[in-house]
Amino acid sequence: MSNYAIAEKLKTPIAIITERATVAWRNEAFDETFGADAQQWLKEGVRAVAGETGWLQGFFVSGEEGRSVDVEIEGRSYRVELIKAISDFGEPAVALWFEDVTAQREMEQAKSDFTSMIVHDLRGPLSGIQGTLEFVLSQEGNKIDSLYSDLLQEAQRESERMMALINELLDFSKIESGNFTVESEPIRMAGILKRAVRSLQSVASRDEIFLLTAHGRDVPQIVGSVEKLTQAIINLISNSLKFTPKKGLISVGAQIVRSGDAAEAIVVTVTDSGMGIKADEIQKIWEKYKQTRNKSLRGGGGTGLGLYIVKQIVEAHGGEVTVASIEGVGTSMVVRLPVKRAA
Amino acid sequence: MSSVKTPNAAVVPEWARLVGDSFKQYGAWHTYGKLIEARNAYPGDLSLRGYVEIIKNTIVKDFMQHPKGMQMVPKLSAEFLTNFDKFNLSAQEGYLISLIDGRLQLQKLLVLSPFDQFTTLFNLAKLQHERAITIPQ
Repeated sequence: MSNYAIAEKLKTPIAIITERATVAWRNEAFDETFGADAQQWLKEGVRAVAGETGWLQGFFVSGEEGRSVDVEIEGRSYRVELIKAISDFGEPAVALWFEDVTAQREMEQAKSDFTSMIVHDLRGPLSGIQGTLEFVLSQEGNKIDSLYSDLLQEAQRESERMMALINELLDFSKIESGNFTVESEPIRMAGILKRAVRSLQSVASRDEIFLLTAHGRDVPQIVGSVEKLTQAIINLISNSLKFTPKKGLISVGAQIVRSGDAAEAIVVTVTDSGMGIKADEIQKIWEKYKQTRNKSLRGGGGTGLGLYIVKQIVEAHGGEVTVASIEGVGTSMVVRLPVKRAA
Repeated sequence: MSSVKTPNAAVVPEWARLVGDSFKQYGAWHTYGKLIEARNAYPGDLSLRGYVEIIKNTIVKDFMQHPKGMQMVPKLSAEFLTNFDKFNLSAQEGYLISLIDGRLQLQKLLVLSPFDQFTTLFNLAKLQHERAITIPQ
């Protein structure tokens, strides 16, 4: 049986298009799924997409395998895999393999909606608890004795931790549902680093950890989202705070990578004097739900989403993340963000 | 054709092991020097920047472990006062040296320094390592 005959029998819609955006072949499942007019819209669609973004031409030039594109066709969601092929006339071609992911998308959306709803419902009462604790603790001087004060401070710490976990879940649900967009506003990275350090300075002081900035004022502007990048830096510092012992040091730095005279990228580092990460765990820390075997020194676990969210935010800005670590000496989280000119 | 060997991009040294071993055997300053050399050879290696920062962080942390902490008072060393020509100071180090009068406490120096706190502390640690300044117990 030829390859075409096998493909003909498959229940998955498949079409082969040539470099000139003409439909060279399609199987029965394709016609059954998309109807008799499908060939025409595919042809037009392919021409439009190829003309608009050049991705099809790019595919033929680079020949990159394993690329997939998400498309909506007549109210259903498809993931289209692109596979290198040759037409009957020996022309370079690409096979489009349509996987119907509608049910999967609906389930993901339902899961995400549910998580968002729960998270929002939890934040409300928790904010109330935090406000009450803050008020009671502000009366500390003359109204409550030291035992209750210690207990209330512990309750405040735990409520802060719970709020951080809830916020992580909210960010995660946004990422998973695809509602994660990055604004294109010009931003001052130095300001973001200062704000992130300031917001965690009291936590560091309470835990007797030095938290220092390590960058000058000449950090160039980049384009992106102030809110999301601040969140990413806060996540990195929070992570370091968990694993740095008392009298330890966390430094938050920024360096400029130049190409000739122009700034090409900013490299942000969050470095701690913590226990370090074991070699076999170092590449896993950016994955979701992954936590190292190291125990947090501040008690309690996390969601295992903090660093995953950082990676998603940085990649959405066109950047990359990596980590350097020496066991027993410390860890440095490294973020590279391209310097793009605002449009 | 140039005979200078350029690093092969496909072969990335095992920084964690190399840096860890060097740190244990030769200490932070020696390792820092080697890392700066390596950074010039591998300018695009992102994790290498992280290792440089870990060692700098360790140096600053150790510097801050002084029993007097922020109350420590750096003084110019006798060697520096008599033979300052032999010290090859950077612009930042030179500026910081100009602030040291033997009376100012570290916390005041940090306020007066135009550089960020970490850079100021690192430069002071470097000046101490090079014996340009001393910090009495």
